[in-house]
Amino acid sequence: MTQAVDPPPPQRPVPARSAGVTAARAGLVAGALLCAGSALAVHSWTSTAAKNLVEPEKEKPKVAIADQAEVAYCTPQFKQVLERVLHSCGLAGEGDGARRGCKPADVKTFASISDDDFNALFTPLKDRGGVVMFDEGRDELDDKAKKLLEERWYARKGARYFFVVARASKTGSVGKNNALSHRRANSVMYFLTQLANDPEIEQKVGLLWLGNEFAQLSKEYCSWPRSRPDEKCDEEPINRSAFVSWVDCRL
Amino acid sequence: MFSRGSKVPAAIALVASLLGLLFSSNSTSDYAAHLDRRLHNVHCSFIPGVAATTEAEPCRVAMYSPYSALMKDQYWGGIPISLFGLGAFCFFAAFSLYVLLAGERASRRTLGFFALVGTAPLLVSLLMFTISLTQLGHLCKTCVGIYIASALLALGAIGCWLAARADTGRPPLALALIPAWLVALGVTTLTPAIVYAASVPDERPYITQCGEIKQPKIKGDSPVKIHGTRPVQPTMLFEDPLCPTCKAFHDRLVSENIIEKLDIELVLFPLDSECNWMLDQPLHPGACIVSKAVLCGDGNARQVLEWAYAEQEYLTRAGKAGEGVLRAAIKQRWGESLLRCVDDKKTDVRLNNHLHFASENNIPVSTPQMYLGKRRVCDEDTDLGLRFTLTQLAPEVLK
Repeated sequence: MTQAVDPPPPQRPVPARSAGVTAARAGLVAGALLCAGSALAVHSWTSTAAKNLVEPEKEKPKVAIADQAEVAYCTPQFKQVLERVLHSCGLAGEGDGARRGCKPADVKTFASISDDDFNALFTPLKDRGGVVMFDEGRDELDDKAKKLLEERWYARKGARYFFVVARASKTGSVGKNNALSHRRANSVMYFLTQLANDPEIEQKVGLLWLGNEFAQLSKEYCSWPRSRPDEKCDEEPINRSAFVSWVDCRL
Repeated sequence: MFSRGSKVPAAIALVASLLGLLFSSNSTSDYAAHLDRRLHNVHCSFIPGVAATTEAEPCRVAMYSPYSALMKDQYWGGIPISLFGLGAFCFFAAFSLYVLLAGERASRRTLGFFALVGTAPLLVSLLMFTISLTQLGHLCKTCVGIYIASALLALGAIGCWLAARADTGRPPLALALIPAWLVALGVTTLTPAIVYAASVPDERPYITQCGEIKQPKIKGDSPVKIHGTRPVQPTMLFEDPLCPTCKAFHDRLVSENIIEKLDIELVLFPLDSECNWMLDQPLHPGACIVSKAVLCGDGNARQVLEWAYAEQEYLTRAGKAGEGVLRAAIKQRWGESLLRCVDDKKTDVRLNNHLHFASENNIPVSTPQMYLGKRRVCDEDTDLGLRFTLTQLAPEVLK
């Protein structure tokens, strides 16, 4: 007798055990390779860095170094004169009791250039500096002179030295003019000392007084910034003055 | 989401792991390259394989942050956390490959384990994502690449488990395999870090090679004093309030609580040609005015400086827009009297004295610069190597 039996339900084929083993092996091998590879890569990166560390950099990026200003008018000739001023006029740190300032004879000696050439050196300072004007025979600073001095002093920027070049008059005796220009230079120095309250001002300000002996100014200098811009100007008043300016040169 | 027995989630997990591996490699190689103390381009793109670039500020910020590495006191730059990602993604790539090839031979417990550990990178990524947003304020694209890879890995791993959950025909799993896998995960995760720690160069001979300050006192003036709450180390800083690197450096000093141990003399060194003759053009327009505001802060100088750093993007825009906008911003925050001080000629002279101090010492025209006592800390030691350098030169600062 035969009996009808239901056919067995269709079963999902069970994946072969070997497929799982192969997958596990593949995973293990991949894991080992990746782990070793990453370790090697890390070692290679640190080794490269260590090698670079001991080898000097071929194209090291240049970094600017902070320094005083140095502008186009700082020609070798200009700097030579300035350097002589610094050494001869007491700025270059000769110590206490060092001579302060330069009288006309000194300037003539150390500058070793003609009057016109000396003045021409200061031409590029036309806008940076200013001409402080005085009354005839006087050495007191008026309010306009103080204002101009204050403006110029505070516009220091990167300059290290401030120059005061005082003159006296086109006329009169040499001795009298020499003394007057000296007093005018000192007036400027006194005002700056009060203004700046800087214990090192002596190392910053260079005083030159030229009397009427050396490098007198021509009428052309009337067009320079003056403390008395509205007053009539010719060769006489322009020399009753002190030219002041910061100098943007490294020395 | 995925059909029963589907191989798609395993494939997603494999691709995600390889992506994570690639992004972690980029991040680690960038970090390791800086061990030579030079400047390098940095990978910073969502697109795998894109070359390193100079335009990578967010990635650089992340790299220099205190969260980028562990053990920074012991190793110069520390052990970058990307190394752990690199190792972990190796494990997950291998495990994904196994799951993909095994198909229905992979047991449910295997897939449950995969789902569980496969979410770990996502959890770490969420933590780092939160730190990036809340602490750094930047999202580094390479890091985001790792976050995305972690999310895809979690999706794939959980997908594998879900697709097999109701499948009773799968083979059982020997329970002993789970601890073995955990050990394997631990070993692969730690291996790159161990290799890195064992092979990093010794930076100690280099950290004292950047010279000393010649003249430590400003002539006729004084620096801005910033005292921490427990100052133990005399320190001189040259900073520009509109310089992003200075801001990042200051943030590091604050976030690592270093600033409280420093007795700081701050010298303002604005990289703005308006007052700084050492530049031909302004690098940070407006920095002269903001520096004067810091000088005028006196007892509140640190607050003014930190305000400038916090508002740096706005102040930089204001500086470019013109002096008036910048002055208005200063007045609005600090009032009329501070603005009057900013406009005072004497403040110009003070700032000028600071700049002359820099020029008399012939320091490099760059910011920030740090001097511990008289010794200059090299630039590379103020970012990646900061904690290590302090450990070597001023250990009391980190105690």
